[in-house]
Amino acid sequence: MPVVDVDPDELRELTGHEKTDEEFIDDLFALGLEFEGETEDGDLQLEFAPDRLDRLSVEGIARSLRYHYGDARGVHVPDTNDADWTIEVADSVPDERPYVTGAVVRGVDLDDDALDSLIQLQEKLHATMGRKRAKGAIGIHDLAMLKGNAESDGDGNAITYRGVDPEGDTFVPLDSDAEMTPADVLENHDTGRTYADLVAEYDRYPAIYDDLGLFSFPPVINGRRTEVTTGSRELLVEMTGTDQWTIDRMLAIVCYALSARGATIEDVEIAYPDGDADGGAGADGAADVEPIAGGSDSSTASHPSAGRTLVRPDLDVTEKSVSHDRIESTIGVSFKPDEVVDLFERSGLDATYSLGEDVVYDVEVPPYRVDVLHPYDLVDDVGRAYGFNDLEPRYPDVGTVGGRHDRSRLEDAARDGLVGLGFEDLLNFHMISGPENYDRLRVDPGTDVAGGGEPVEITEPYSEDYTQLRTWALPSLLMVLERNTHRAYPQDLAEIGLAAERDETENTNVAERRTVAAVLARTDASYEDAKARLQAVCRDFDVDLATPPTDHPTFIDGRTAAIEIDGETVGVIGEVHPAVLVEHDMELPVAAFEFRLDALE
Amino acid sequence: MRLTEAQLAVLEAASATDDRPIDDLAAEIDEKPETVTRVAFELADEGLLTVSEAEQVSVAITDEGREYVETDLPEIRLHRAALDAGADDAPQSMGEVIGGADLEGGAVDIALSNYARKGYGTIESGEITADPDVDPADDPEALALEAIAAAAPDVTADPGETAPDRDASIEPPESIDADVLERLERRGLIERSESTVRSVTLSEDGVTALMEGIETAETVDRLTPELLTSGEWRDVEFAEYNVEADAETATGGRKHILRQTADRVKDVLVGMGFREMDGPHADSEFWINDCLFMPQDHPARTHWDQFALDLPPMESIPPGLLDRVERAHREGWGEDGDGYHSPWTEDVARAIDLRGHTTSLSMRHLSGFALGDLEPPQRFFSVEKVYRNDTLDPTHLLEFFQIEGWVMAEDLSVRDLMGTFEEFYRQFGITDVQFKPHYNPYTEPSFELFGRHPETDELIEIGNSGLFRQEVLGPLGVECDVMAWGLALERLLMLMYGFDDIRDVHGTLCDLELLRETEVVR
Repeated sequence: MPVVDVDPDELRELTGHEKTDEEFIDDLFALGLEFEGETEDGDLQLEFAPDRLDRLSVEGIARSLRYHYGDARGVHVPDTNDADWTIEVADSVPDERPYVTGAVVRGVDLDDDALDSLIQLQEKLHATMGRKRAKGAIGIHDLAMLKGNAESDGDGNAITYRGVDPEGDTFVPLDSDAEMTPADVLENHDTGRTYADLVAEYDRYPAIYDDLGLFSFPPVINGRRTEVTTGSRELLVEMTGTDQWTIDRMLAIVCYALSARGATIEDVEIAYPDGDADGGAGADGAADVEPIAGGSDSSTASHPSAGRTLVRPDLDVTEKSVSHDRIESTIGVSFKPDEVVDLFERSGLDATYSLGEDVVYDVEVPPYRVDVLHPYDLVDDVGRAYGFNDLEPRYPDVGTVGGRHDRSRLEDAARDGLVGLGFEDLLNFHMISGPENYDRLRVDPGTDVAGGGEPVEITEPYSEDYTQLRTWALPSLLMVLERNTHRAYPQDLAEIGLAAERDETENTNVAERRTVAAVLARTDASYEDAKARLQAVCRDFDVDLATPPTDHPTFIDGRTAAIEIDGETVGVIGEVHPAVLVEHDMELPVAAFEFRLDALE
Repeated sequence: MRLTEAQLAVLEAASATDDRPIDDLAAEIDEKPETVTRVAFELADEGLLTVSEAEQVSVAITDEGREYVETDLPEIRLHRAALDAGADDAPQSMGEVIGGADLEGGAVDIALSNYARKGYGTIESGEITADPDVDPADDPEALALEAIAAAAPDVTADPGETAPDRDASIEPPESIDADVLERLERRGLIERSESTVRSVTLSEDGVTALMEGIETAETVDRLTPELLTSGEWRDVEFAEYNVEADAETATGGRKHILRQTADRVKDVLVGMGFREMDGPHADSEFWINDCLFMPQDHPARTHWDQFALDLPPMESIPPGLLDRVERAHREGWGEDGDGYHSPWTEDVARAIDLRGHTTSLSMRHLSGFALGDLEPPQRFFSVEKVYRNDTLDPTHLLEFFQIEGWVMAEDLSVRDLMGTFEEFYRQFGITDVQFKPHYNPYTEPSFELFGRHPETDELIEIGNSGLFRQEVLGPLGVECDVMAWGLALERLLMLMYGFDDIRDVHGTLCDLELLRETEVVR
């Protein structure tokens, strides 16, 4: 879950409330932001669930508190001035990262705190909505350092989002003094190495140019020329990514934060390239088109938003409808419509309703609320504003009949039987390594013996101890014996648990079964001891047991039998081979058996 | 009167006129002295005899003492040598006399100090005189030493024996003066010890009882089938055991404590009207994540959080359901719904993973895939294993048990959810459950559940809950409300038992002793 560092002095300034840190901490908990501790500088570290991403900055948290305190009500949308700047998107832009958005912000007054907050918001948005910059990456530039070339139609300023050959141009990246090509950056710059994977497969790298040349290499790093400092008064915010909606919402959150500090937002035009006559995308929905896979001929494919011109930032409110009934039935409380409207407004939403048979609210949702997908999400806002913890719990008046699953009842009954026979019931991991499952018991994968099934393997496991599911449980029991040689004997252990093997006739391609495994480790353990107990279990379940001789590499020849229950071979019983015992550091004999639980049905 | 054989033997051996020491009786009736002592006290309790106690002194000769018995005391040898040298007439040179006495080392000092003390003569300026009237043959110390040596068993016969021991102790002969004994002890020639000697005398009741006749009962060690079938058990006494002594350690079988905890949870949920679910551990991401409206680029869906399996994709997924789930992801659900602006592909949905939560079972049931279409009301639960690609540490395992439960009904509110979970946790001693509004991709509203630890009073997270979203229920074809919650069983176990390292309990690193010794659940 995201954690945001917030300077309490900034909170006091932005909310206008001279509260103590403790009072803020309590109020924030009520909003769902949990106090985790303090930084060295005395900032509050606040953790919250990743839905309200508009709270990733002190400005956003202060806004939520102002609604909470009743200082603000309803939807607020910052005014924007008309566009002077255009971001032109060239055909050469990488197919994998076709989208861009942006805004100009004027009249900013960035002291150190405000600059820190802006950088933090940028980082936290990258980590969450931006999916570590893969889906959306933010670049903020000092507008004064940019020189817009004349726009195509000759009016205003323009910069270009385009593709560049990895070695095709140079610029001085942040935190560096040297001119570097984009390829150099990925190889030799710390930040470049961190994000190299994002563009490694691209034929051309994303780049943003002004009249003076390359100044930003998204999503990796900006150029040093346009670096933002506390002296910056005018900013260009650009975002690139794989999805237009995502970067537009990220931009809205940043614009709200800067506006809260008194800055003026100015529109930017996004001019996507002209499409082919028949390749032009529709006015809407184009943003949802999947990026076209990269390829040698990709430069000839038209841009998914070809022909479109957008005016950004997109600060439009959206409207959703939710019924009064739904609000009452979900929260479990009766409301008057005006109360509901009041609760909406205290949540930073606007609502109107028409009186009629069914009261339905038309709710306006501000653009920073990226968490509202369905109208029912608005019910949660009403509940939070009302105070969920003020609700009186009640046990639902719903009658149902409880019961155990047949499989788990059988498992329990068999387990009780084994415990009654003196076995200690164990619980081991279902994941295991190949050597433990096969080699140390002298079994080969894919052989027709108990435990010899094909393994279900984990893709790229990062622990060599857990690389597959176990095909039987005897290896787990032998591992427990191995780790407990210093404990008192006899050690009679049993486990009923999952075993699985590859089986492409199953829906999941895995044959899962419950297996019953038992070991008797004692100075005089013999085949007969194991069979006596196996017989007792079979008698309990009234099944017919036969034990014809068989061979199994884990057991001693001539002291090994197949377990046949009701005529079907379901397992193996025998004295464990000395080579297996020595392999497990055992100094006394072990008799063992293992069979499928469902044989007892 | 009836007594045991041992009791009768002691009674018969005791005398009404003499105090007889226990050791004598034991020797006579061939029992161990400890047995006779115990029996004597039993008989004294019955008033049949009296037990008296006396302190007894015994002495034993030391190696040095025994040596002097053979070679004479050093001062006597000195006197004899002095007389031989003519020291009775005139003082003689010390050196010569000592040489004549054949004394060496420490024996010289012993001889000189006792010579003067006993008045055998004078020693002055390197010369020695001898009193001819003294007869060392009458020396009381030498006589006493000889008497003790004569009375003591000949322990020197055993070459291994070096120090006086109990067996060589004797009662000092009465002829020996107490002062002499004390002097011998101080010289280290004898050792004295004191002990309590118990003696018994037959009482009048005892005499009477003997005259009236006493029956004996046989003492037996074990109750045998023969004793039972023959009826002989009526006539026997059972030898007493030391019932307070520790017995051997027995370790019976027992159900694993995590299973016991799971069983208790299952009992509680069945009692609350929940039915148990079952289903695959390896499942498609469709059932595990997509049905739950988890966007395919959600951070928890990466390889770093879940275990992908090297298997071909799942071929059979109900096609209508697959389409509806995809639509919910792309476009949202319902008129005003918005989808995720995230990529969605069937390839990802059909890939097979180990389930990261048992909510996959809830999806299989709610969709009708597991048991056919369900009509409200329904309650279902499972307590089953889930798999997370986490770092192993004292509180996190790669595999753990998740308690999963849901309630399906026409109208469910947040208050119903609160009431259900308050009731569940109350069963485990956790009251004062608090509900913190929370966010999950699949529920709305969502709540983290917090409760106070019954012992530490800490506020701890005890579960996650909510009402399933429309984007979850709609594609599944569920038209009523469903509330659900989840909780790690291990968390409940650690709260109930106070374990601090879950690895001791669950898995092949387990310690059998810990499992054997943990208190059972009540």
